[in-house]
Amino acid sequence: MSGSWNGSVGPEAMKRLADHAVRDVAAALARGHLVLHLGPFALALRTDNAAARDFLVSMYANCPVSLDQDTMADFSLHVRPPNLLRRFVRRQVMPDPGFYFPSVPLPPRMGPLALEMGMNMAVALQCFRFAIYHAAVVADETGAIVISANSGGGKSTLAAALMQENFRLLSDEFAIMQPGEPLLLPYPRPVSLKNASVDIVRAFAGNDAMSGVLHGTPKGTIGYRRARKSDIAAMHRPARGRLLLFPTFMEGAKAEVKPVEAGDAVMRFIAGSPNYHVLGEAAYTSLMAFADSIRAYDITYGNTADSVALVRELWTQGGAA
Amino acid sequence: MSRAFLRSAVGLAPLPPRGADLVAFIAWGRRHHILGQLATVWEQESAGKLADVLANARIFAGHDRRMLSYEMNRIARALMGTDIRPVLLKGGAYVAKALTAGEGRRVSDIDILVPEADLKAVEAALLAAGWKPEVSTAGAYDQHYYRDWMHELPPLRHARRRTLIDVHHRLTPRTACLQVDHGAMLSAARPAGDGSLQVFGPMDRFIHSAVHIFADGTFDTPARSLIELYYLFADLDDADQVSLRDRAREVGALWPVDHALWAVATLFGSRRAAALRGKNRLSRLRALPVRLAVAGKLREGAWARLADVLLYPRSHWLRMPVGMLVKHLLQKSRRMISPKSAVAGLPGRE
Repeated sequence: MSGSWNGSVGPEAMKRLADHAVRDVAAALARGHLVLHLGPFALALRTDNAAARDFLVSMYANCPVSLDQDTMADFSLHVRPPNLLRRFVRRQVMPDPGFYFPSVPLPPRMGPLALEMGMNMAVALQCFRFAIYHAAVVADETGAIVISANSGGGKSTLAAALMQENFRLLSDEFAIMQPGEPLLLPYPRPVSLKNASVDIVRAFAGNDAMSGVLHGTPKGTIGYRRARKSDIAAMHRPARGRLLLFPTFMEGAKAEVKPVEAGDAVMRFIAGSPNYHVLGEAAYTSLMAFADSIRAYDITYGNTADSVALVRELWTQGGAA
Repeated sequence: MSRAFLRSAVGLAPLPPRGADLVAFIAWGRRHHILGQLATVWEQESAGKLADVLANARIFAGHDRRMLSYEMNRIARALMGTDIRPVLLKGGAYVAKALTAGEGRRVSDIDILVPEADLKAVEAALLAAGWKPEVSTAGAYDQHYYRDWMHELPPLRHARRRTLIDVHHRLTPRTACLQVDHGAMLSAARPAGDGSLQVFGPMDRFIHSAVHIFADGTFDTPARSLIELYYLFADLDDADQVSLRDRAREVGALWPVDHALWAVATLFGSRRAAALRGKNRLSRLRALPVRLAVAGKLREGAWARLADVLLYPRSHWLRMPVGMLVKHLLQKSRRMISPKSAVAGLPGRE
């Protein structure tokens, strides 16, 4: 009997989003039949918000998608008006991951933000097959750099800068760790940038790498740096952590590095996990192996060039893993 | 459609074969919070994305199970030195006895039953061990609602672990028209684990589940409730099955048990349950509206909304006499109009 009920087609056989006619994409999206296959997750999306749809078509062009109603998904997300009234009068949009979650209704032009926030929520609150930690992850052939999320620490800006330095993007938002083994799985979605970071990243990545900019959101000005074709192509290739960074950005500060003791680093890292306690021992085992494979540092910097130089130095210091 | 889904859910029928139907089946399981139950039946035979989805649900349910086991340990510890041995109800009992009904089940809180005479001592012991009155029901009206009318204390939440416990002293509200002889059920309880906690016997477990599902509330988790009944019935040995209705009559819970037997017989096609059902045509006729409503809830959509029109007033009707009900609903609606007039939240938390 095994194999007969697998509920999906192999992702290799799947067309990229850009290979489908936009009309078909829009129709599947309207009915919730568009399933996005990205790294370990299949996500069923539904929306008739035009801004969210255009964003998806542009920013996820290289991702494998299926448009039929036969495809099983891990999670589903509906980007929709909060109620019938707000479909017509003073229109609003919000992410609905299928369970109650408090979120601010946004004007329709901010559909992309609702979509991205919803995709984060869907994974952070419903994934238990892998331990999830709030961090950005980039990697080269020798291993991964994990950038823990300190508020205002600039993890996304640093991740985008390291992409420029030929690191591949695994994720801007989640370190997704295999249970039992310290392998980090890619989930390469657009890198979310706030306020001044938007133009900083645009300056080195170029206009084509960027999404349109959303002004006046609850998080300020928001823009996204797209995951590259090569990032998407490597989305089934896990990486082993070598460096764990806790960044702090301070305007005009001198670049500084301070080693963090492994036990301390791990405790801080756990604090950013929405599901560590749910996985229990499986998460503990992989995290302990992770702690053995990394060096951890607090880094402080005043501009992006400094941060990149600093990380480069730490990366070469360690030598090959 | 969902009758077929129910049978697939417990392994009586194969999984829907076609892609779209299988996707609909899993979506149904997700909406009804029974993916964990589906995983215990089907994960071994699945592959690909289906296996991923079921594994995810299994791991989540495993967490609830650990939480529940730990809470049991903490409750026993809180009562150490007293001779009070609470009876674990529902999910807690199923996990403690490793019943099929407990496998893959999502649990949000733990329910225990103690003799009413021990209520004060139990509450004091739990408060001393770190449980606190739940904020949303800490208001004066809610405290009065629970303490004077209900079958349980206002819920307590552990300050550090954030887990909820409902301490029952009877199985239906004081004010309810159905009064089950919980004393008889308490004295027939048996030890669980190291003996510091207890569980009902198999027949009483089925009876309590039937009471909870059909004589209290609005049948809000139909698939989960029905699957629970199916497994609890399957756990009865032949002698227990034959004695079930007699025991139900003895403790004054015959009509909910007849509803439950109808559900197991009709929705899961159990001949054993069908053979046990009462033969009285009049009582079958009287039961018809509720059974239609149950079928409606299962079909979801417009039928479920129609069923709610019947079940919502019924749930209140079952809980308290009319005069009291009117006053209570006035109090609730006043709070809806100006939420700040009370501390927070509505009573009647499910």
